[in-house]
Amino acid sequence: MSTELVSDNVFRWALTILTGGFAGAWLVVDAVSLIRSRHADRSDPVVRDKHFGYVIGMAIGVIGVIGCLRFWNVL
Amino acid sequence: MVSRWNPANAVTASRFLTLPPFFWAVQHGYHQWATLLMLICGLLDKLDGLVARIFDCRSAFGELFDAITDALCYGFGLVVVAVYGWAPVLPIVLIVIMGFINSAMRGQYVKRVGHTTNYKSYAMERLVAYTGYLIGFATGGMEVSYFCWLYVPVMVAILVYDGKRLLIDPVPGAAA
Repeated sequence: MSTELVSDNVFRWALTILTGGFAGAWLVVDAVSLIRSRHADRSDPVVRDKHFGYVIGMAIGVIGVIGCLRFWNVL
Repeated sequence: MVSRWNPANAVTASRFLTLPPFFWAVQHGYHQWATLLMLICGLLDKLDGLVARIFDCRSAFGELFDAITDALCYGFGLVVVAVYGWAPVLPIVLIVIMGFINSAMRGQYVKRVGHTTNYKSYAMERLVAYTGYLIGFATGGMEVSYFCWLYVPVMVAILVYDGKRLLIDPVPGAAA
């Protein structure tokens, strides 16, 4: 019985798509959410929490995209 | 009053079933199986929220149970990949310690509120997803050190922010 589910190349691409795809989408979605809510009342703690969450989401998105580029020796 | 024995909590609890085969896969060096099992664990995390909405069985207990399950499943995964040398030990130790600090702060928050509740942290929600990925990076051998070390400052920032909200800021709904 083979211990591999798929070939190494397919596995690498699957990891890249799962990571880069989600990280890139996440980066865009949180950036758009942050821009859309920029006029919200920041004296409300929930609004501040959301803004902080969006910024963290964008940071994680950038980390994910750069990680994918490093994985393929682009960076 | 929503029963604790509901479909959403059953999905949440089913995540624990992925842990024994995950451990088996890591122990035997089956990287792809370990990655797949962690992926299933992460997908079940997304599914329980959907099930809760469909069956209208959202509850404070369910949210807390979900957060505890996240901590136990991902904590277990992180420790296993570090013990078997698939991830650098030092950042994993720091992450686990910060996980305990976060749990202690949330416990303190429950005491301040006076009943079972789960503080909703938008940033921590994102970090939890990163944690699932982190284990996947370790099992898949994808830039493991890079992702592990960059996780640490992100978690420090969230702990500082959430710490203030959990321990210092007024509890929502409390009298001023």
